[in-house]
Amino acid sequence: MSIARIKILLISIAVLTLGLLYYFFNPVGHSFFPKCPFYALTGLDCPGCGSQRAFYALLHGHLLEAAGYNLLSVLVLPFIIYSAAVFTGNHLFDKNWKQNIFYKPWFAKAVLVFVLLFWILRNLPFPCFHWMAA
Amino acid sequence: MEQVMYPQSGGTPPVRPKNYLVESILVTIFCCLPFGIPGIVFASQVNSKYDAGDYAGAEKASKEAKTWTLVSFIIGIAAVIIWIIIAFTTTFFSAMFHHNFHP
Repeated sequence: MSIARIKILLISIAVLTLGLLYYFFNPVGHSFFPKCPFYALTGLDCPGCGSQRAFYALLHGHLLEAAGYNLLSVLVLPFIIYSAAVFTGNHLFDKNWKQNIFYKPWFAKAVLVFVLLFWILRNLPFPCFHWMAA
Repeated sequence: MEQVMYPQSGGTPPVRPKNYLVESILVTIFCCLPFGIPGIVFASQVNSKYDAGDYAGAEKASKEAKTWTLVSFIIGIAAVIIWIIIAFTTTFFSAMFHHNFHP
């Protein structure tokens, strides 16, 4: 078995295990899910806070609820699926399809701006930003 | 700072280095730590430097992006393992000293 195939196998097992875990166990009400170290230290939300609850909601098809826990996790979802599909397709069909969108300078900059803005806005004490908090 | 110059015209430019943008986004959002953000910054540099013809710079940014995503991923995994150990030991000991404990 080649290294690429072992890599795909390991990633698939990890994704499947995590998928099952977050499908059957709601992070709300189960204390064994890890808390964010940044939140524990500062009391502020990081750009990833709420992503475990969002992942649970996403697996159950509740898109709006997921966006309420972590907006970014919903926004990046189409791009992650696209990336995973190209990656899998390349290995299954021995192709060399490029993930062009990720290599556009404007796209990487947009991601950076979105992440930083989201990080700041979700911590602001104004009622209009409360829906962004984890 | 030594800079390797590649021909700007004529000849084929080197292969575009991997920018680790997807990996950076994943660790930023699903690893509960904001260390993925430097990864996104370097991913962005890989794209702009390559397009500007600075192939050596793009290669360097690619290595930085890889390091940051890897460090962030490892710290994330370590934090989860430490959390699980603490959670299990506290549950075990609090159960052990509880009157209704039936192992």
